[in-house]
Amino acid sequence: MSILRLENVSYKYEDDKKYVLKDINYDFEKGRTYAIKGKSGSGKTTLLSLLSGLEKCSEGKILYNNQDLNKFDLDKYRNTNIGIIFQSFNLLTSLTAIENVILSMDINHQKEKNKREKAIELLKSVGLTEKQGDRRILKLSGGEQQRVAIARSLSYNPDIILADEPTGNLDFETENEIMAIFDTLAHKQNKCVIIVTHSANVAKKADVVYELKKTSQN
Amino acid sequence: MYILKNAFRSINRSKGRNILIGIIITVIACSATIGLSIMNAASKVIESSKSKYDITATIGIDRDKMMKNVDSSSESKENMKERFNSMASISVSDIESYGDSKYVSSYYYTYSVGLNSDTIDAAETQSKGPGGNPHGQSSTSFTLTGYSSYEAMEEFITGAYTITEGEISSNFSDNSCIINSELATLNNLTVGDTIVLTNPNDTSKTYELIISGIYSDNDTDTMNMFTNSVNTIITNSNFVEQIVSDDATLNAKITPTFILTSEDVVDSFEQELYDKGLDETYSVNTNLDQLSSETESIQNLATFAFTTLIIILVIGGIILFIINLINVRERKYEIGVLRTIGMKKTSVISQFVSELLIVSVISLILGGFIGSMLSVPTANKLLEQEIQSSEQAQANINEHFGRSMNGADENSKQEKPSNMPTKGVSKIEKVTSIDAAIDIKVLSELIGIGILLTLVSSLAACISISRFSPLTILKERS
Ligand SMILES: Nc1ncnc2c1ncn2[C@@H]1O[C@H](COP(=O)(O)OP(=O)(O)OP(=O)(O)O)[C@@H](O)[C@H]1O
Ligand SMILES: [Mg+2]
Repeated sequence: MSILRLENVSYKYEDDKKYVLKDINYDFEKGRTYAIKGKSGSGKTTLLSLLSGLEKCSEGKILYNNQDLNKFDLDKYRNTNIGIIFQSFNLLTSLTAIENVILSMDINHQKEKNKREKAIELLKSVGLTEKQGDRRILKLSGGEQQRVAIARSLSYNPDIILADEPTGNLDFETENEIMAIFDTLAHKQNKCVIIVTHSANVAKKADVVYELKKTSQN
Repeated sequence: MYILKNAFRSINRSKGRNILIGIIITVIACSATIGLSIMNAASKVIESSKSKYDITATIGIDRDKMMKNVDSSSESKENMKERFNSMASISVSDIESYGDSKYVSSYYYTYSVGLNSDTIDAAETQSKGPGGNPHGQSSTSFTLTGYSSYEAMEEFITGAYTITEGEISSNFSDNSCIINSELATLNNLTVGDTIVLTNPNDTSKTYELIISGIYSDNDTDTMNMFTNSVNTIITNSNFVEQIVSDDATLNAKITPTFILTSEDVVDSFEQELYDKGLDETYSVNTNLDQLSSETESIQNLATFAFTTLIIILVIGGIILFIINLINVRERKYEIGVLRTIGMKKTSVISQFVSELLIVSVISLILGGFIGSMLSVPTANKLLEQEIQSSEQAQANINEHFGRSMNGADENSKQEKPSNMPTKGVSKIEKVTSIDAAIDIKVLSELIGIGILLTLVSSLAACISISRFSPLTILKERS
């Protein structure tokens, strides 16, 4: 059964005549990894922002567990049901890795006593040490930062992981390590992992590949 | 709760900016405290100064009006004189009727009549009798002036006259009198002696007075014929009234003073007098101008403090507003991240406002403290002057009357006659207890102003936060 489904989704930016996305019908299930491929400007990031509820579709609808996404409290949806990972990591650079993870738990209103313990555990699961966790974000490498972002997105145990070019800034080896983490999340923890990417390497490793074509004029 | 935790952490992270905001708010709070406490002290001084002086109304002839009437109605000089004479006389019963008003808290009057004497000599002055006798009646040597109460004795209150021997009788219906020291020397009179005055129209009518005190006129260098008091014998109004009621042809002059309940009733009282039949050629005069000139400088100070306060608040508000805008712009990325990972707009806004509020409250307390340290001495100095002038006024009155008039002194209460003047006496007591220490009013005003300023200046920030699209922010970054 699909956890996330796009039905005839079209999208155009405000005041723009041209559709960025036109009649998209995708289906996402738990326990699988998906790659969304496409040329630059084909609307990959736009699609991801629709899936994460940052934007609303112009036409068609997105169903989460067969329910229209528009009926959800989207802030809560973003902090409960989906984890978002960006190419530029989007961590708060003034905080430590652990603090970034704890902040996400706080926003999720987790009552847990020992949030620090849990954060360290999460960071360890993506291959970081406690010592690294206590460092400020800018004192971590790009690969390490991306691991923190993944750990953060897992802090509230969402069903779906959305990642926008998560390995875009990383070298081939690190890319493989990150992809291994996503693989584990999908196949061992039964999550639905959706990755937007340029990389053929990443696409090759995904269970399902969708290709976005640039919409023709109008 | 995590919002507050975030706010604290965020303040700690950007110390520089928050110290700057803190300094600005501290300066605003400090100046606001000074301004507010000066305004407060000033209003206390004005209040006390107002309560010290009564609002009084007197009735006088409006010469302009009279002249106009004369011009228009081409009267003969004789008619005019007659008119003047008839108008000049207001009777005691008129005054009683005027004084019986809800606008009047009390009233008093002086009653003067010109008399002669066969037993004592009048001192040589340029004038003879009251006002040189303009009414064509026989001239008199002495003026017998009767006061209806101590309050009426304006000259003793202001210190123009001072008792040097004996005292002013507290009985306002006996036949005691006080005489000028020069007159006493001239006729070799002392306290306890009796003087006899005669009716200028009928020498068989005589009036006996016992001297209870001697006063000196401190205004000696003015040889002004209207104010020279050598031949003025002071008694009570009842005594004069008896003389005049016996012989209506005597040249008598009555001057009433009404103490009004408040300055707001002046117009109503004036209207009431005309309704009760006061001639249009009389005007009602009050001491309002004199009172406001007493408090003018302090009023100016209060206005200046208020204006400065407003200017500081406006400038401070604008600076805070700009800092807030810059703050939000600088932290766009942070806002974008927080929004993407699911923090609600309202939560982001409350975090930003909390940050500013925490800094404000600390700075307000600090500024309020510094401000009060600076302003309490200043404001107290203002009050001190007022207290001193009040105490001085009190001391002077005692001295002029030649006895203690202090109504608040419990021990002297028995001796104190019921009609002792309270003017500037009991009310002064209040003034001595005023202290400009920052009071609850100033403090709550300050905190109110501070929080309002904080909220208003962060309004723009809130609006822009709620308009931000997290996606756009994050895209800008990458
Ligand atoms: N806020 C916006 N307003 C108007 N048009 C936009 C906006 N954001 C993106 N677009 C346009 O929408 C199209 C798709 O943009 P999008 O960022 O989704 O591309 P992308 O596939 O993620 O490209 P890339 O691989 O370079 O990241 C582009 O043509 C872009 O110019
Ligand atoms: Mg993109």
